[in-house]
Amino acid sequence: MQVLWGCRRLPDLSGAKVPEIAEFEREVRLALSRAKGAFDLVQVPMPGALDVHGASSLNRFGMAIDLDACDGCGKCILACMQENNIPLSSKGERDAGRFMHWIEMHGGAPAMCFHCGNAPCEKVCPTGAASHTPDGLSTMMYKRCTGSRFCGANCPVGARKFNYVDSVKEGLARKFNPEVPLRSKGVMEKCSLCLQRLQDHKHTQMATRPGVEWRGSGLKTACSEACPKNAIIFGNWLDQDSPLVQEAKHRNLYVPREIANLDPSVVYMRGRR
Amino acid sequence: MYRILVYIGVALLLLGAFAFGVSLWEGPTAWHTDVRTFWGIPISLFVLWIGLAHAGTLISAIFLALGYPLGRRTSMVAELSTLCSLAVAALFPLVHLGIIENFYMVVPFLDARGNFSNLRSPLVWDFCCISVYGLVSLLFFATHLFSEKFPDLKKLIRPMAWLLFPLVLWVHTIVSLDFAVTFVPQWRGAFFPLYFIAGAIYSGLALVIILLTAEHCRVRVLEKLMLGLSWFMAFFWLWEFLLKGSFSFEVVFLGAVVPQLMWLRVIRENAFGRLLVAFSVLVSLGLERYILVTPSEYNAAEYFSWTDLGLVSFSLGLFTTLFFVFRAKFSSLLEGEDVVMGEIVLQQDESDKESEKVTLPEKNDFSILRLPLLIGVLVTLLYVVWAVSVENTNLAPLSVVNVAPLCLPLLVLVACFTLCARPLWGISGKRVKLVCAVLAGILGCLAGAFWAGGSSDVSSGVVSVQEVDSPKTVEFIWSSRCASCHGQDGKFNEKFVREFYPLPQKLTPVRLDTLGEDSLVKVILDGRVNMNPYRGRVSEDEARGLVRYMRHLAGEGE
Repeated sequence: MQVLWGCRRLPDLSGAKVPEIAEFEREVRLALSRAKGAFDLVQVPMPGALDVHGASSLNRFGMAIDLDACDGCGKCILACMQENNIPLSSKGERDAGRFMHWIEMHGGAPAMCFHCGNAPCEKVCPTGAASHTPDGLSTMMYKRCTGSRFCGANCPVGARKFNYVDSVKEGLARKFNPEVPLRSKGVMEKCSLCLQRLQDHKHTQMATRPGVEWRGSGLKTACSEACPKNAIIFGNWLDQDSPLVQEAKHRNLYVPREIANLDPSVVYMRGRR
Repeated sequence: MYRILVYIGVALLLLGAFAFGVSLWEGPTAWHTDVRTFWGIPISLFVLWIGLAHAGTLISAIFLALGYPLGRRTSMVAELSTLCSLAVAALFPLVHLGIIENFYMVVPFLDARGNFSNLRSPLVWDFCCISVYGLVSLLFFATHLFSEKFPDLKKLIRPMAWLLFPLVLWVHTIVSLDFAVTFVPQWRGAFFPLYFIAGAIYSGLALVIILLTAEHCRVRVLEKLMLGLSWFMAFFWLWEFLLKGSFSFEVVFLGAVVPQLMWLRVIRENAFGRLLVAFSVLVSLGLERYILVTPSEYNAAEYFSWTDLGLVSFSLGLFTTLFFVFRAKFSSLLEGEDVVMGEIVLQQDESDKESEKVTLPEKNDFSILRLPLLIGVLVTLLYVVWAVSVENTNLAPLSVVNVAPLCLPLLVLVACFTLCARPLWGISGKRVKLVCAVLAGILGCLAGAFWAGGSSDVSSGVVSVQEVDSPKTVEFIWSSRCASCHGQDGKFNEKFVREFYPLPQKLTPVRLDTLGEDSLVKVILDGRVNMNPYRGRVSEDEARGLVRYMRHLAGEGE
């Protein structure tokens, strides 16, 4: 009954082979050598309040990637894998050109899910596993996912990754971070904008400073923390004091042409104005 | 003859069964996919077979509704082919899923925890339309099949044909929307519904022509229709080429050039000639669906893996086996009655003669349909109002437009069953009635189980979070774990909790004292109704502390 009604067990890691960290580093180097083509970028205004049901008027989290500073070293990819327990890809997957990395290089610049305010993936998800949080994150509910892969087909930038193989059984997964579950075979995953960090930050603030509005100040995602050039800036688009807004208001903002009118929360920055 | 065909079917089935098993076991890696292609062969086969499933009902229902009745045998063969193709088509979306046992999450039915499928998604529309189409086609086939035996049923056929007519077109429009609503450049086009309907009818006609050839019979009007549709398809392919620049030589040659051989008397009059043309159409349409579903660049060398071919063989084998087994079964069942489907005579166009007398829709049809349609409309309206007003836990509220694709299928389903309920109940024996009652009971139980959702037992593999060194006060745990629902002050977070039904009871001091500390600790650890289990996340001592803190908060409120 438990299997029938979708209460899948969490993967049991005891006894499975766990890959070395060096293997993750090797895979990141391999992915860098096979970087995808650059996006066709178009200029956009600064993201404003979200236009989705029940959106918060205080928070809209997002990132800006500084193309002038980024040198494509790939440290963000490794940091993301370790923060979010992203498994290695099997040989067959690599041959098909697929990596599980949530961040991929597109023409020398990192690209992850752009967390579109008007996300096409969420519209076609049959079960509602892909949905939007009030804080502007496009999230995945792994337990609600049936693996129809409609969202993957409908993502214009290909940010969604499908678990084609059982990475735990194949010895490809390593649980670096106890706060993030390992995904089972057959579900979609993608950049969560380090949801677990946001959650922790929020709960800590609720417990230690109850009554104070939570704007996520001082928080960083794993990729932005790992970037040696400080090229990935995380913040709250609706908070004027957020480092994101402080930096972005002096820069020209760009997004890939395919998603330019989908209100993305993650943008590229280039040049000063 | 049929036995040989069944053997061929079983052989194909067994050849493909291994590929089918591998696909189930391995999941989506089993067939060819790449960076841009998430779907692959099962969805192409689904689109192909669902298209083939349309011709049967088209031929018997639409022709009948429009006063162009075909011979009974032709209609029955076509309807049976519809049912068998539907059975084949329904398998492939299941194979396609990453987690097959979760398919029920697509059903647009609310459960007790507020989970509701996303009615914006074409997949949900698809699921509903096809299940309704399958049920109604089955009912139509059964009514048609038994109408010789029970003349009461005869007067139901034409009204049902009128209900099926729009449904057929609707269902395939919805299938085309699976593609047309997406952002994939290759799938864009407002003409997709027409394109898909034309393709479906075209391939379905080819299938029926093949099956009729096996009956040693030919129906010219179908051949003419197929030839006409080949021009339609050629037009759509040209349109697509002009719009997107995509063009496949094989598809156009097999699908638009080869059928023109039907202009030649030698080919047309020869059974093998007709078979050649019909098979060429099927191959062309199958290939076209595959290319459509695979938006990556065409790369013939990598295009098909052996599993892909195995799945094709499996689908062909399953259809052939199903169709000819049922074909043989029903012809022997009804032997001795009026000539139904059994006889093998080389005959020329029984249908063309019949079709000369074109009848207008009789007034009688509409008067029979009036009450079922009314009930159908009422039920549909109720459903729409309910679905739009559902307070979903994680999705934006629906608008009427989102529910619109489900309206016609629901209306047709309700109307059809209302229409047939009385006459069928009248003619069915005691045993059938008992079976119906048992089935209804099982259905009710399933609906109840669905509504209740999964168990809230903690799964055995929950990884406990490491203890943090800093001292955790009970308030801290309360604020981080409980307050999101129960509120900082223990009085519920109204905005969140009102989504639950039944509404959780207020935790007054009286109630807390009645429940007792031990049982509350158990609830915290193991969960209850809407309360999630926290075993592994809070220790038993912490839970006890939380219960006392709760009592303290409740006392404060007084």
